[in-house]
Amino acid sequence: MTKKTDLSVTFCGKKMPNPFMLSSSPVSNSAEMIERAFEAGWGGVAYKSMVTDNISIPHPSPRMHAYHYGEKRLAGLQNVEQTSDRGLKPNLLDIAYLKKRWPGRVIMASIMGFSNSEWADLAKACSDAGADMLELNFSCPHMTVEGSGCKVGQAHDLVEKFTATVRKVTGIPLVAKMTPNIADMNEPALAAKRGGADAISAINTVKGISEIGLDDLIPRPDVFGKGAISGYSGPAVKPIALRFMAEMAQNPELGLPLSGMGGIETWVDALEFILAGATTVQVTTGVIHYGYRIVEDMIEGLSDYMALRGVEAVGDLVGKALPRLHETGAFDVKRQGVAAYDLDRCVGCGQCYIVCRDAGGQALDWDAKKRRPRQTQDKCLSCMICSFVCPVTGLISFKEMPRGWKRRETVTLGR
Amino acid sequence: MTVSNDLGGMEEGGFDLDTATAEAGRCLLCEDPPCSKGCPAKTDPGAFIRKLRFRNITGAIRTVKENNILGGACGVLCPTARLCEKDCNAKWVDRPIRIGKVQRFLMEHAWATGFKVFGGKVFEKPARRPGKVAVVGAGPAGLSCAAELAKHGHRVTVFEARPEPGGVLRYGVPAFRFETAFLKKELEDLKDLGVELKCSSPVAEKGAAERLLADGYDAVFLATGLWNPERLPGTRKEPGGLFTSMDFLAALRQGRRKELAKSFKGKACAVLGGGSVAIDCARVALRLGSRDVYLLYRRSCSQMPAEEDEKNQALREGVHFILLSQPVGYVADARGRLAGVRLVRTRLGAEDSSGRRKPVELKGSEWTLEVSAAVEAIGYKPVDGSQDWYPSVAVRQGGLIRADEDDCRTSAKGIFAGGDIIRGPDLVVRAVQDGKTAAGSILQYLGEKATTRPGERCLARKP
Repeated sequence: MTKKTDLSVTFCGKKMPNPFMLSSSPVSNSAEMIERAFEAGWGGVAYKSMVTDNISIPHPSPRMHAYHYGEKRLAGLQNVEQTSDRGLKPNLLDIAYLKKRWPGRVIMASIMGFSNSEWADLAKACSDAGADMLELNFSCPHMTVEGSGCKVGQAHDLVEKFTATVRKVTGIPLVAKMTPNIADMNEPALAAKRGGADAISAINTVKGISEIGLDDLIPRPDVFGKGAISGYSGPAVKPIALRFMAEMAQNPELGLPLSGMGGIETWVDALEFILAGATTVQVTTGVIHYGYRIVEDMIEGLSDYMALRGVEAVGDLVGKALPRLHETGAFDVKRQGVAAYDLDRCVGCGQCYIVCRDAGGQALDWDAKKRRPRQTQDKCLSCMICSFVCPVTGLISFKEMPRGWKRRETVTLGR
Repeated sequence: MTVSNDLGGMEEGGFDLDTATAEAGRCLLCEDPPCSKGCPAKTDPGAFIRKLRFRNITGAIRTVKENNILGGACGVLCPTARLCEKDCNAKWVDRPIRIGKVQRFLMEHAWATGFKVFGGKVFEKPARRPGKVAVVGAGPAGLSCAAELAKHGHRVTVFEARPEPGGVLRYGVPAFRFETAFLKKELEDLKDLGVELKCSSPVAEKGAAERLLADGYDAVFLATGLWNPERLPGTRKEPGGLFTSMDFLAALRQGRRKELAKSFKGKACAVLGGGSVAIDCARVALRLGSRDVYLLYRRSCSQMPAEEDEKNQALREGVHFILLSQPVGYVADARGRLAGVRLVRTRLGAEDSSGRRKPVELKGSEWTLEVSAAVEAIGYKPVDGSQDWYPSVAVRQGGLIRADEDDCRTSAKGIFAGGDIIRGPDLVVRAVQDGKTAAGSILQYLGEKATTRPGERCLARKP
């Protein structure tokens, strides 16, 4: 029998069976959906953002647009999704139901107010319904009302004010959700902390345009002839999300637990967020693309990784890459290396030669007869682009050269 | 495996934009792409696949079509496994890119989207040039030559003996491999180029080719093909139910399916030969409802000239291969209907001039395979007496026109030739290249001719 690894984590004092959560989005729209996600194995959920019934926010149609990369579908996803359109009461009933049926899973209710009183009302209602914690949505990128969504996240005093408002009316943990559409996430995160937040979640979607129609000249999604800059998510934004995660995790002044998200599809993605400082991770676009079932592979993959490396608890992995994350100025540039080729495995496509010539150090010649590259080692810049385009993984690897080894200077024409 | 009995359209489906894009996505985008060196017609798959990959679909279509006016036909019919796909490096990762199928897709995509390489807003019409060329034969070589010359602004008239253009593409290949609707679409590009097509206009009288020159054509391209079937020697009286592959395949295209079915449906039949045409005939016989189809071949399976995938497909569909068996004659019943094929067992002896081991008949091994229909598919040769149509042109023994495939020039001034009539039976794609080669020679010839026209001063030289 496979060894059962304990993946449980404690986030804001709440224990959950694993760090994998649905993020606040269409994938967490109702108890019926979330129950199926729990059955699949998800450890918790950020319940789709609720607003008061004071105003209704109708959804544009269509709501989303895909960014495909070549034949690869959904490298990114743009949405103009709004807050829950189910009304507050049905959502609160659903939360109460879920809490009763699934006491071991974490229900984090996402709320978004348009005024102090709305924030307070929503916070109270969700606490009363039994939510384990609240996620304060300061980050929705396509709200047009001032003082809402990411316009709050961009105005740090509002982040602090609204957090403080909520803090006053409820004792359950508060998680402030940050927008990446700013230069430094630590500032609004610290504002949230001052207002009384217990944790930070990030990132919400990145503002973007996924496509522009060439026939109709309409940016997508085409909402009856109109496009809009709106939230972009999925694998394409993961590197950006990891950066914000690490920057907050490295900030001793902040010192709050983090819930990370942005382009997570696999256990590897999830683990990278954990190593960059996240205690829990959240997923939407991955579920939009593949369904709830992907959590099975996240659980199995992370379990095996931990078992194989002898890691006892997920918490032991949190932030473990951070001591190795530096400013570029800290690099030891006396140590140098080159791209090393294992030509026994070469298929002879010559893409390495093309890119080295046009974008690298012109360190490769092409043996047209044998269809193999020939490297002039002391011209190799070690940019490694050849290894990125090589169809055989591992054929080209980085090799350190001995101290004192020198790279040839680039040829100057017209001297 | 059950086979379709629909002989009207192509059985193998093509790619759509999604699948073609995915296939292009597998391409390694090689330096100095080997695929682009494997085509007899100088097709550049390395370029058109890259163009597809970078969403330059119109450019990809243009790359195919400007090089080969029959790009679609070649995409469908070419034995790509031993041409462009042979050295594809993707085979070291997984399997070769299906280049022929991508090429076919590009042509079909052009038709579906209305993109015309030789028409519409993206095409600059060539300046009219004075040359007037007659092309004899609207098969792959003739059409290719005509397109090439028209692209240079010359006036081209294609004379075709049969009622419809296409040559072997129409009359020599069954529709389940290459359908007429596809051919018609492909031929629209020739119309866009302004090529004049005269069907039911044979150039088949004594000295007819020379007469074209006398009638004002500046050059003539002979691409008449091979329309005379080789026959099993020694057959004095043709039994009923015996066909040549040429009649058999052409009859289907002429809507005589019911008539053929009478001889084949529910009956045992034989196909003589081991080439691509023999395989086609056997597969047609299955589709006509034959109970048993025997392919009779005197050598071994690996010596068959048919493509590997064709052989495999025929076997999968249920054709019985009788190998190392030499057909030597026919048996007829009292009413003169075919009753059987007489066969003699062979063994492989020493190598012959083709480098293949030669079949040697085994004495006393004769037996009769009972069949009620048979198709001879043992080769094609020039029509008897065809050299009289062009008496000034030197021919080889057997009637093939003497012309170098490097320039397609014949012994007669102003007369060029290409395709099967100079090579013997060969691939469509080689005929296409001959057409292009001949066009190059004709352009050169017209240039020479223009500068030496009597009474005209050569402007390049000072007086």
